[in-house]
Amino acid sequence: MKTRLLVVSLLALPVLASCAESGPPPRAEESGHGGQVWNEMEGEKLQALGAAGDAARGAITFEVCEGCHRNGGAGRVNGSYPRLAGQHAPVLIKQITDIRAGRRTNHKMVPFSGADVIGAQDIADIAAYLAAQPVTPDNGRGPGDDIERGGQLYARDCATCHGEFGKGAAARFYPRLSGQHYLYLLREARAIRNGERGNSNPEMVQAIKAYSDADLEAVSDFVSRLPPG
Amino acid sequence: MAVPLACAAPALAAPDPVETLATTVCQACHMSDGNSVVPQFPKLAGQQATYLEKQLADFLEGRRRNEVMEPFLSQVKARDIKELAAYYAAQVPGPGVVLDPELAEAGRRIYEDGNEGAGVPGCEACHQLQGEGNVRYPRLAGQHQAYTIQEMLDFRSGQRANDKGGLMRRISERLTDEEIRAVAEYIAGL
Ligand code: HEC
Ligand code: HEC
Ligand code: HEC
Ligand code: HEC
Repeated sequence: MKTRLLVVSLLALPVLASCAESGPPPRAEESGHGGQVWNEMEGEKLQALGAAGDAARGAITFEVCEGCHRNGGAGRVNGSYPRLAGQHAPVLIKQITDIRAGRRTNHKMVPFSGADVIGAQDIADIAAYLAAQPVTPDNGRGPGDDIERGGQLYARDCATCHGEFGKGAAARFYPRLSGQHYLYLLREARAIRNGERGNSNPEMVQAIKAYSDADLEAVSDFVSRLPPG
Repeated sequence: MAVPLACAAPALAAPDPVETLATTVCQACHMSDGNSVVPQFPKLAGQQATYLEKQLADFLEGRRRNEVMEPFLSQVKARDIKELAAYYAAQVPGPGVVLDPELAEAGRRIYEDGNEGAGVPGCEACHQLQGEGNVRYPRLAGQHQAYTIQEMLDFRSGQRANDKGGLMRRISERLTDEEIRAVAEYIAGL
């Protein structure tokens, strides 16, 4: 059954890839709650998830990405480019393929991550490389004025998925949040709340829907201070 | 003219035809040691062999077009590409000349950090911090400003479209003319 699924998706791949290039970008409502299945297992995502990632090869391929995401995927403290170091491989694969397919809008990155630049095996290699990079404690932090409330919100609404220490869960595609830059966490939390980030986990959207901007700041600040390890 | 130049290479009993091509025909613009002195003609000395091979193949097969180079391409045979590339890669690159240090400093920031607002990645990620390149990306260090600027403008207009995945076309589209001048000035000093 599983192999058959894979074969089907392999055959469908060229078609999917060309649709992703020439078709109009799917709208936000199409993903998550708008009828489409969250994190549907198909096409190149399945292929990359099934491939054995080679971290040494990934370090080389990552050159294409490093001009923005910086050495070892450290990202930038100002949040313009997220930290990728230490992120779970399946999470990276899901996000990269979402960005490639236009499910998650990212105009800046698209020309450098298209199918004519990296293939499914490259994605698996890069993910293996990044997942093994150390998460260093030099990430950008929030202002620090409402951390206690941020901690309460986090324990109540977020820890079930992202974990008590923000380590996420690879097998379930829950991202690691610890060690991430504050301003990126805040931007993504807001985008997910506002329904602007396509193919976002619908339960996460539910969990964060009622948050005010102040709540988002408090919880992101707390998360940015979780031990990075 | 070919004979004395070829004889100058001591290890060769008979003149090597590919080296002779480089030191007679190509030298008119690129110089025998690949350190061109005319700013519109690229320096080839110390350039990555893999990159040179790709460019020569692209020229021969029409994927890269340039009316100045074109008349001389009939003298290049596909089987000579490897040796020509190895010849220039083995030459010692001479330094470039920075004419405007202030502009070069502005260029350093683009080279190392890119431009976040416009989504320009830092050049160093691919071309390496000192501009030496590697087997996957060309050397830029010490290149003439005029040539670098011309290539960036050609990538931007699509006149040059032989870059895999359109990487350089996308990057050049995101740079202003002023940023291109600045980064070319910095590259000349690497
Ligand atoms: C031109 C700059 C640029 C380049 C080059 C680039 N990216 Fe990105 N990337 C971004 C930006 C900006 C974001 C954040 C977008 C947002 O805010 O949603 C991002 C987001 C990501 C994310 C999502 C991270 C997360 O936590 O959800 C992943 C994964 C990623 N990039 C991987 C890559 C890989 C792999 C490459 C190389 C093949 C690459 N990027 C090249 C700019 C770039
Ligand atoms: C049901 C599980 C779940 C819950 C609950 C949840 N999340 Fe998430 N979160 C996810 C998943 C899955 C993603 C990845 C988005 C996607 O592609 O679906 C994510 C992504 C994120 C991101 C973006 C990370 C990145 O690297 O791009 C942030 C920030 C975030 N969550 C914060 C929170 C906060 C704050 C809460 C609590 C208010 C929360 N999450 C609750 C599952 C959850
Ligand atoms: C009349 C001057 C002239 C002659 C002679 C000439 N070239 Fe060129 N060459 C150029 C110019 C101008 C360019 C830049 C073309 C462009 O802008 O695309 C160039 C580009 C190149 C490049 C690409 C360099 C790079 O960095 O991308 C290579 C390789 C090259 N020439 C090799 C040769 C070889 C080998 C010969 C001899 C067979 C030769 N050239 C003869 C003018 C010349
Ligand atoms: C993602 C990788 C990548 C980044 C980042 C990058 N380049 Fe390039 N660059 C390339 C590749 C690949 C080529 C070779 C294209 C080809 O095969 O013709 C190239 C070629 C060039 C050339 C032509 C060299 C020659 O001898 O003709 C110039 C000039 C150049 N790049 C300048 C820059 C500048 C300036 C930046 C930063 C603003 C930059 N590049 C950033 C990948 C990159």
